[in-house]
Amino acid sequence: MRHLFTTLAAFCGKRRSAVAAAVLASAMLAAGPGHAQQVKIGYAGGFTGYLAPYDQPSLKGVLLAIDEINAAGGIGGMEIQLLVKDTRSDTAQAATVAQELVDEGVSAMIVSCDVDPAVASGVIAQAAQIPAASSCASTPTLPAAVGPYMFSNYTADNLQGAVLAQYARQQGYANAYILLSRDTPYTEKLPEYFGQAFQAMGGQVVAVGEYTMGQQDFSAEVTNIKGLDPQPDVIQTSAYEPDFPAFIKQLRAAGIATPVLGSDGIDSPTTFGLGDVAEGVVFSNAGFASPGSPLEAYEMAYEAKYGEPNDTVFTATGYDLMKVIAAAISAANSSDGAAIRDAWDNLEDVPVATGTITYKGQNRVPVRVVALNRVSGGMREHVGDFSPNPSAIPAP
Amino acid sequence: MPAGVLSGSALLFLPIAAVSLAVWQTLGAAPQGTVTHFLILTVAVLAFSTFTGNSGILSFGHAAFMGLAAHIAGVLTIPIQQRAIFLPDLPPWLATADPPLAVAGLVAVAVVTALAFLVGIPISRLGGAQAAIATLGLLIVVYGAIVGGRDFTRGSQALIGVPKTVDIPIALAFAGAAILLARLFRDSLPGLELRAAREDEAAAAAIGVDAPRRRLLAWTVSAALAAVAGVLLAHYLGVFSPREFYFQLTFAVLVMLIVGGMVSVSGAVAGAVLVTILIEALRSVEEEVNSRFFDQPAVFGLTDIGLSLAVLAVLFWRRNGLFGHWEIEEVVAPLLRRRRTTTTPPAAAGLPAQPHRAGRGALKVEGVVRLFGGLRAVDGASLSLRSGEIVGLIGPNGSGKTTLLGCISGALASQRGRVELDGHDVTRLPAHRIARRRVGRTFQNVRLFDNLTCLDNVKAALAASGPRLAPAAMERRALAAMAELGIADHAWRRAGTLAYGLQRRLEIARALAPGPRYLLLDEPAAGMNETESDELLAILAGLRERHGLGLLVVDHDLRLVMRLCDRVTVLNKGQVIAEGTPGEVEADPGVIEAYLGRRRAHGRTAIPSNQGEKER
Repeated sequence: MRHLFTTLAAFCGKRRSAVAAAVLASAMLAAGPGHAQQVKIGYAGGFTGYLAPYDQPSLKGVLLAIDEINAAGGIGGMEIQLLVKDTRSDTAQAATVAQELVDEGVSAMIVSCDVDPAVASGVIAQAAQIPAASSCASTPTLPAAVGPYMFSNYTADNLQGAVLAQYARQQGYANAYILLSRDTPYTEKLPEYFGQAFQAMGGQVVAVGEYTMGQQDFSAEVTNIKGLDPQPDVIQTSAYEPDFPAFIKQLRAAGIATPVLGSDGIDSPTTFGLGDVAEGVVFSNAGFASPGSPLEAYEMAYEAKYGEPNDTVFTATGYDLMKVIAAAISAANSSDGAAIRDAWDNLEDVPVATGTITYKGQNRVPVRVVALNRVSGGMREHVGDFSPNPSAIPAP
Repeated sequence: MPAGVLSGSALLFLPIAAVSLAVWQTLGAAPQGTVTHFLILTVAVLAFSTFTGNSGILSFGHAAFMGLAAHIAGVLTIPIQQRAIFLPDLPPWLATADPPLAVAGLVAVAVVTALAFLVGIPISRLGGAQAAIATLGLLIVVYGAIVGGRDFTRGSQALIGVPKTVDIPIALAFAGAAILLARLFRDSLPGLELRAAREDEAAAAAIGVDAPRRRLLAWTVSAALAAVAGVLLAHYLGVFSPREFYFQLTFAVLVMLIVGGMVSVSGAVAGAVLVTILIEALRSVEEEVNSRFFDQPAVFGLTDIGLSLAVLAVLFWRRNGLFGHWEIEEVVAPLLRRRRTTTTPPAAAGLPAQPHRAGRGALKVEGVVRLFGGLRAVDGASLSLRSGEIVGLIGPNGSGKTTLLGCISGALASQRGRVELDGHDVTRLPAHRIARRRVGRTFQNVRLFDNLTCLDNVKAALAASGPRLAPAAMERRALAAMAELGIADHAWRRAGTLAYGLQRRLEIARALAPGPRYLLLDEPAAGMNETESDELLAILAGLRERHGLGLLVVDHDLRLVMRLCDRVTVLNKGQVIAEGTPGEVEADPGVIEAYLGRRRAHGRTAIPSNQGEKER
């Protein structure tokens, strides 16, 4: 778009729009030649629009990681330069922006947090033989859908489902009720993965309930649960705001005390503010900042940089992804896309904020720690960190 | 092909084609992608505009047609191996079908068009806000159906692996075709009728326009265009989920329509161009500002803010969008219009005279009853009007004159009684069918198609009235009708810009053009001064002489009624209290008591036209 920018500057100059011309002219002057020892990373994210709540925090984590890496002398002497482009959460724009990043010579690319824009950007990177990873899309089929240059970063839905199922069986739960919504892949597939893993481990899914996102009234589902025979020992759902609070309130109001398992969608202040109804709810997420853990150190670094405490796990997973890319570039000892891809695919136990991440032998879907948390007295209580047996993870 | 279609389409298409082809030849993949996407959105905007612009009904539903077509074509063109992975539950014939893109696209467009036709039958019967809400419902229902049809669509998950085959030449060809199609429809006679209904549905019905039917046609054509846009977008993106074709797309298109102009083809295209340029410019500025002035990206959302400001600015300064009701050739070549206005001398002749029709057939009203709740607005009124005769219908305020006119013209259904036209019962016919039986009417408050030219006002009546004339003959006849009322010089002006007296005349010319046998005039002299009303008197008398028309004149100007009419019928409280020659009626004691008496006591002979009478 540089050409357009130039045209615009010329146009503004003609119209004597002094301010705009001055801004643009100084911008042009500042555009000097880049440093020789640089490796460019692109981030085509949804920084405005519906993905902003995920890609904005991811970006903050990525920037924190780059600060640390560059302060430590870069990757093998190469300084990281991050090129950020906003897709406005639009699929068509995601493809265009990815192409622009390719044209600017990035060595690796971070793409949006949702499948459609991630694939749209990913196929561009794939064609240019530049590795790309979605900041936090959790659909495990994403890398296979694009090709060998596409990676996942975030805890995959089937991984979370498997960890929750494993925990449920360890608690001795035999019968499970699943509540899902087909409105998004996350709210549909994660409970389904849970069900598959739960049954593979000897449990039984007694019923599957469906809701529409935003439906508010869960009386039909609650009545249905009450009438089940056998009664479920556990209820699993990936519903989040505003559905999860509505569901759990109506469930408890009906006198049903069955334990409820959730996933990272409910890792928000709302859940902890629900009071008694949410007491004892266990949910999975990407990490727990226990004392002495790397995540605690990360949280402190985050607060030091941004002057406010971190309030979402997506900053940490963004930080993790940048660390992974740095590790791949370091292992490849090159800024060539193909070399980085091969190194990335063989990464093992990369230390990151939330624990460690392994790609080797995982078809570009990382194995990373899944933390289980319990809502206890309006606070977060650490149940434990889990890395399930790969054979127990349902096929995507 | 109507004048203006070719020049207008070319003026829109050629600059776009030049820029697109230049980008295609000289620039890289990213700008090419932007241009391709812009061209596809142009087709989408034209689809929305073909319905919304011509009907005046805001549509939220066209994104649904795009989504449906995208999914149908997408499922058919995903390579078979990938289809087996992502859509394992497809029926065998779908799992193995491997049509080329053109065939898949045709199938998608055909299915969507057929569906749109069926859905359009009820929607086209609604008007205004109701129809807009119905299209909103359609969007939500279709979205739900696509998400629900998981075996075919992957539900809410993205459809992946659709071949990315659409590039600038393909998109440009379709954008050009869409511009031409949109202009052809707008300038066609059905398009003209629909635009007339957009301006005033009651007045359109009074000249014979079957608005629901025209809306259905526009709806179906525009849905086909939307389906084409959907197929193109699917094969440009390569990956999409149902959400892609939901509110975000709808609002993106609506922003373009608001900026460019809702009701013209040029406005739709200009909106797509301007919004795309604005987005690209703001995006470059945002990136440059971020990379030059901040260590870390700090400015986001400049594009959305800019778009919002653009919409607000347009709504503030040009409520109808940049193009308003104009098409590009009308803006670019005003000289052309002026030249045409001066080359219309044949019109001065007026319509061919047909005095021989006088005395044949009659309009008969017998015992018509119309209730509004408990109010008997018309209570068993009867009257008759022979062709070649002028009958006055008078009565005090609220006596039911306009309501009776509405019952005769079909605008209002009567609960009892009978309206007979030359021996045929027309009591139950809707307004547009009665109009086509050569009954014209005018309204108490002038009802013109304000944003159409005067010529188009009259041509709409000719188009809607039945047998189609050749374009040249139609224009001649329309100009002749206007010449009859002395307003042919104003043919190319917008009707809404005429002075009041001329508007009244235009309304009569519009009713007169199709050659009615009966003309129902509701207060034709209202608001006119004495000179104007004398002129009108002469014109109306001339109409009867030259065309053998039967005229039913409702008016408060008793001087005019008494001088003009052969017979006068007097209504009071919905009932006929007197009938006869003007002299007889004036002498009738009942009439004097009910109507004239009180006023005469105050020394007035003519009842001034009242203000604010609302009884239609």
